[in-house]
Amino acid sequence: MSTDDRVAGIGSAGKGRGRPAATPAERSLDWLNLFVGNIQTGFGPFIAVYLTTQGWTETSIGLALSLGTVAAMASQIPAGALVDAIRGKAWVVLLSILAFSISALLFAVQPAPLAVYVAEILHSFSSCTLGPAIAAISLAVAGPSVLGLRFGRNARFAAIGNGIGAVLMGACGYYVSERAVFFLTAALTLPALVPLLPLARLDYSPPAAGVGAGAPQAEHASPLRALGDRRLLIFACCVLLFTLGNAAMLPLIGNTLTKTVGSEASLVIAACIVVPQLIVALASPAIGRLAEARGRRIVLLLGFLTLPIRGLVFAAAASPVPLVLVQALDGIAGASLGVMVPLVTSDVAGRSGHYNLALGFVGFAIGIGATASTTVAGWIGDRLGQPVAFASLAVFGLAATLLVLSAMPETKPPHPRPGAMAPRRRRSE
Amino acid sequence: MIPLTRFRRKALPLAAVLALASVTGSGRAASGDAASSSGRAAQSGSAVASGGNSAPPTAVTKPPAQAVTKPAVTKPSPPTPANLEALPASAYTGILGKKIIGPDGKELGLVVDVVVDAQGGPHAAVIDFGGFLGVGSRKIAVDWRLLKLTPGAPDWKISLNISRDEIQGAPEFKPDAASGQMVGPPPQGPPSHDVDR
Repeated sequence: MSTDDRVAGIGSAGKGRGRPAATPAERSLDWLNLFVGNIQTGFGPFIAVYLTTQGWTETSIGLALSLGTVAAMASQIPAGALVDAIRGKAWVVLLSILAFSISALLFAVQPAPLAVYVAEILHSFSSCTLGPAIAAISLAVAGPSVLGLRFGRNARFAAIGNGIGAVLMGACGYYVSERAVFFLTAALTLPALVPLLPLARLDYSPPAAGVGAGAPQAEHASPLRALGDRRLLIFACCVLLFTLGNAAMLPLIGNTLTKTVGSEASLVIAACIVVPQLIVALASPAIGRLAEARGRRIVLLLGFLTLPIRGLVFAAAASPVPLVLVQALDGIAGASLGVMVPLVTSDVAGRSGHYNLALGFVGFAIGIGATASTTVAGWIGDRLGQPVAFASLAVFGLAATLLVLSAMPETKPPHPRPGAMAPRRRRSE
Repeated sequence: MIPLTRFRRKALPLAAVLALASVTGSGRAASGDAASSSGRAAQSGSAVASGGNSAPPTAVTKPPAQAVTKPAVTKPSPPTPANLEALPASAYTGILGKKIIGPDGKELGLVVDVVVDAQGGPHAAVIDFGGFLGVGSRKIAVDWRLLKLTPGAPDWKISLNISRDEIQGAPEFKPDAASGQMVGPPPQGPPSHDVDR
């Protein structure tokens, strides 16, 4: 099968007729991403609300959530190394998903502190193995030249899964009970196991860990050298800066909206959450194509540049319609980051045999940025007001953009046949 | 749906047993952090005070500390206190995490804290209000007397006769703020707190 066939097939939104071998595995991977996105929703915002209804105090909820954050930060890099060491990536996914369902059941059945702490840690750790394992499977399913398209599809289906999950669980929490959300989450882990069956039969031996054709793993055996790659370090700095500016944006918008907009604040906030997810689902494949056609730098710049724009508009505007419209730009950033993190990491470390370790490292950088973001924005907002907080987040976004512009090298490997992408490029513009 | 409920029916008692066996101590701490810790302080304080009468304080301070923490974990149950009073669910309820219903019958938010005065009596309820999926919610203090409780109704149907739009402009409640404010009764409402007490 030629590269062109695969590009065209994936590009036409999964209609892929006449692509014999890759199709079942690719479809399975689509479904896997969708179901995993689905499950992940249940662990997000519902935990705080659920524990509050169970009579937990603010302090103990904060403790449980911080425990989860710390566990996630601490396990990013070791989890990546673990996934590198395990050859059967589908097994890693299976165990991670099972850990998810145990975690959800612990929340649902007995929201006592010990159970909640165990559930938080279990969920944090398995999130850190699940993401890299799915990325590693993607490497095995797609060839190196169509990896951008593959990650684009991953991001699309994860966003769709997130959206469906939010609707299902939101309705479940509203009409049934907060506790039922966690039973639903546990139940939804079961369909996620189905698409694993065809993926378990794939070959994850060295070519999976190393993208490049026949690059022997032993060549760069040192994990430290993989993490010390200058491109990876700069990329990690870029995403850290971006997340520092981005993570607090939504809570800050929510905060502003509850004060300014009347009784429909919840609706506007819901739109601010859902609309970007829709954009991610729509734009991710195009983002992946753009990355393969024009390179990674342009996609990173495009995504990162939306942040200072959002920050500045939010600092100035207060009426809901422009807010939601500009918040849609978050979807572009989300798609760009969702595709670029696994893609750039695979450009840099895909052949080293330490792909998942490197992914864990980038995930760690994102975690630092996200944790610091809410603290910094809250601190500034309390002292200098919301507009200044928005402007500061815009400055972080601008700094991330400038860092990409000045320091981030193009990581797209030289294409074997440069002409192959030309027609696709024109259509994606 | 059926296997799920069946599982829940089986799992709940099992989990309850497990919880009783292992996590009773920590479970208590979560259901009322402030209450349990202050209770502990009071207990150890009284133990020290009563011990001072009969024996040297150094010998007595240690055993009470063990006596306070151990019974929650060990198997033989401690003797029940002599001064037990009735606290039936028909007449009393915990309020943390209960829903507050607005005048339109829709949920306004959850009670996340209770503000007490110098005598320890409730003065204001702190409500986590608004938002969507936890994004954009704010904590707002509301005069305790504005809450209407309905004993017997599910979750005591705690209602608050203030509309969303009226609460909207209220300042965020910050526990540490020197100049905190709460939503009081409407001007023609009941007399102010100081006259009340």
